[in-house]
Amino acid sequence: MLLSMLLAATAASTPVWAHAGLKSSDPAANASVKSPSLIRLFFSESLEPAFSGASLSDATGKTIPVSAAVGASAITLMPLSLKPGAYKVDWHGVGHDTHRVAGSFTFKVIP
Amino acid sequence: MDPSAIQAGARGLYYAATMLLFGDLAFSLLIRAKLPIIPPTRNRWMRWSALALAGAAALAWLTTAVVGMAGTFDQQAVTATVTLTLFGQLFLVRMLALVALVPVLRRGAMPAVLLALTALALPAATSHAAAASPAGFTVLGASLDAVHLATAGFWIGGLAVLLGLHRRKEPNILLALSLFSEWAMIAVLLLVMTGLINAASILLGDKGAASLVYLAVLSVKLVLVAGMLVLAAMNRFRLMPQNRDQTIARNAAMELSAGIIVVLLAGALGQLQPTL
Repeated sequence: MLLSMLLAATAASTPVWAHAGLKSSDPAANASVKSPSLIRLFFSESLEPAFSGASLSDATGKTIPVSAAVGASAITLMPLSLKPGAYKVDWHGVGHDTHRVAGSFTFKVIP
Repeated sequence: MDPSAIQAGARGLYYAATMLLFGDLAFSLLIRAKLPIIPPTRNRWMRWSALALAGAAALAWLTTAVVGMAGTFDQQAVTATVTLTLFGQLFLVRMLALVALVPVLRRGAMPAVLLALTALALPAATSHAAAASPAGFTVLGASLDAVHLATAGFWIGGLAVLLGLHRRKEPNILLALSLFSEWAMIAVLLLVMTGLINAASILLGDKGAASLVYLAVLSVKLVLVAGMLVLAAMNRFRLMPQNRDQTIARNAAMELSAGIIVVLLAGALGQLQPTL
């Protein structure tokens, strides 16, 4: 029984092994906002800055150059200015428990 | 196999090995101080095996953690892990503690006990209990988890010492058993209390619904711990007054086996996502 339980856990989909993730963001996922000066991602536990980060891309998939800062449990992207259109944030974070989580969300910039 | 499953195994084996080391050294020292009539217990084979296993499991744990965090295993990723992450920095301290144990392991005095405790308890700082603690209470969560690990270690390692005494047909084994019972009762009380607090901080609050897999593994762990408590109570309150040391030794062996499985399950719990 124990063995089958552990094997079931091992064979289960990735989220079973995953850990703390993105709690919220500003702009929020799927939001429509005016050009933001900052994009902030808040995580549910402390991050390891060496292995955490985020990037921004436009609707064509082209990466937008931004400076990023990883804090205790947040990542901040500082885009210069964003033209109206759809954008995607890809993020990855590693907590003190060494577990890596990754994801993405989109938002729209309106005139 | 999923690297997370390997990491769960490495973590469980590391805990099992360091618990045996710490509990063996601590209870042996206690026997030496309180029961000088019993010749020193120096279970060399078990101590050296546990130390070697702890070192190997720690390296396997580091390897899987590096791959998990960096997505690759190369010199740069290893260097970044051991110098820039909390887990890596504590890994170095744990390895130093294990290496420092080599010259003092045979004698088994207080420095050896403290080094084994360091190696056992430090992973608490990167545990679920620490991560799930409210802001500002991370140190408290880590400390409670460290107490949980240390008391479990005393219980499991102490049982191994008792079995060693039984194997060498120690005539005063019931004195040692009585001493163990006194201290183990305190250890088990602390173990259960810290376990309940840890489980509450990990699973309760606004963290979402509990994961069924996590709950299932936790339930099996709790059932086994309950079985260990029944065996311990049977030994202490029924068999000890009747001096039935053969049955006591058999129960202690069963208790120790269940304890090792519990520790391996704890290794898996440390890897599983507690809430959805």
